[in-house]
Amino acid sequence: MSKRLLRFTNSSISALAIVLLSQCGAARTGQSIIGILRQQVIANGFARSANLYQNADEPLVPVGKAIFESTKLSLNGDISCVTCHQDKFNSEDGLPNAAAVGGKGVGPDRMMSGARLLPRKTLPFWGRGEKGFEVFFWDGRVSYQDGHIISQFGTSVPSQDVLVVADHLPVVEIREMLDDGDAAIASRKLESVSDSQIVYQAIAKRLVVGEPDASAKLAQYLHKNPQDLTYTDFARSLAALIRFKFRIKETKLERFAYENGALSEPEIKGALVFYGNGKCITCHGGPYFTDFRFHTVAVPELGFGKNGFGIDYGRYNATFDTRDMYRFRTPPLFNTAKNSFYTHSGGVSNLRDAITAHFDPLSLVDLKQMTALQRNDFYRRLAYSQETASRVGFLTSTDVDNLVSFLQTISF
Amino acid sequence: MQREVILSRTLLVLNIIAVLIILVLGFRQLVQPPIIKAIYQTQYQELMFKCDNVMREHLIAKNRMLTEPSDDAVKTLNAAEIGLIECHDYDVMRKRLIALGLTDNDLALMGLKAIEEKGTDVKTFVKIHELKY
Repeated sequence: MSKRLLRFTNSSISALAIVLLSQCGAARTGQSIIGILRQQVIANGFARSANLYQNADEPLVPVGKAIFESTKLSLNGDISCVTCHQDKFNSEDGLPNAAAVGGKGVGPDRMMSGARLLPRKTLPFWGRGEKGFEVFFWDGRVSYQDGHIISQFGTSVPSQDVLVVADHLPVVEIREMLDDGDAAIASRKLESVSDSQIVYQAIAKRLVVGEPDASAKLAQYLHKNPQDLTYTDFARSLAALIRFKFRIKETKLERFAYENGALSEPEIKGALVFYGNGKCITCHGGPYFTDFRFHTVAVPELGFGKNGFGIDYGRYNATFDTRDMYRFRTPPLFNTAKNSFYTHSGGVSNLRDAITAHFDPLSLVDLKQMTALQRNDFYRRLAYSQETASRVGFLTSTDVDNLVSFLQTISF
Repeated sequence: MQREVILSRTLLVLNIIAVLIILVLGFRQLVQPPIIKAIYQTQYQELMFKCDNVMREHLIAKNRMLTEPSDDAVKTLNAAEIGLIECHDYDVMRKRLIALGLTDNDLALMGLKAIEEKGTDVKTFVKIHELKY
């Protein structure tokens, strides 16, 4: 009996030892997975935020702030940059479609007050103009490629700074900062480069008169007379402000990657999905979590669309290359967890759905509620999104929750 | 007399120990496995699916490297390799269940339940079992 008892005791001790060892093993493996994860984060281009910042015109930040907030930037409307790029809305406007000229207030108030709506969502400013951030707008209509700035200006680019060039667009965009209710603008609706020059000159004059202090400081910095300031000079100050105010700051992921900081269990699991089976990293790589290339995701369309009737052909509108149909720039992901709406037309109202659109887009639409044209457009978008569909792995609901947790580690 | 008392007390203690052992062994052999299975079936099922899913994705990514080699294919394969870490959780769970008294047969049965969950028609059911040959 005592021998049996001894055997039983021994087997209990052995079992206990196995359980304990398996727990220790799990802990050790956990550490090695965290090590692999750290390597992946860095190997896929994640950089320290301080290394991304560049701002040759930093002394112009106060001038840029005054211009950013000035409605004189709008030739015939009552709108400034800050109208649609609000701190309280994560540098956006908190709306699915931007509410531009013709309204009052900001955010939903502006939309309800009769503002002219734009077909796309306002973009956040995080990281714009920092090192390597050189593709702008949803369709990449301003970019720096192979040593050249590509834009509507052709070879007559107003500046060699791609962010300064990008800053030239919103003020001459009809319905955005330019009201076509004005007869003078209505007669020049072609939006040609030569017509835009007339608008730029007029805006520069308005700013010199309407923002005398800022104009004087800008003129002093550039060694010019205030009367000689051009719109490009003001755009330079805007670029300085955007680079400074919306620079990428330290995040939890940065502390994890470079300072052995900790992530929670859901954040680690989310990171493993992001860098692993979700294949998110194949497009959302690099220092800004974007490859700055153009891809199609079959997301629900909201609003009247860039091409009208609820249709938006995306980058095709900028290149007329049919391979670019329905493609949009891969969105950078810093602070994306703070957005109010997602995708180019704001047709997705939360981050979970924005992730789901990449692998289960049909779950986000009610086909019976759509018109025949909407269904046809969605069908075409699905067809063009085969590259995304073939890449992104199937994710469970828990995976999506974990991804949301991970994306919060790159908010600041 | 005293010897008899000691002997009877010893026997009593031994009997109590024997009963306890039988109860413990009975619990481990008969009661514990169904409880463990009931507790962990869903979790085991999900981990098994995830591991299977990432292994299929990995194979597709490897084949894509052969048929359509490109930078994108390399990136996808790299991500698919990281995806295989999902299988680690499945392996840990398997070992934990074994430590908790489940046998390989129990685990195989749990796995089959997971695979067959979607096998609602005969063809799917046959296909699942054909894979096992």
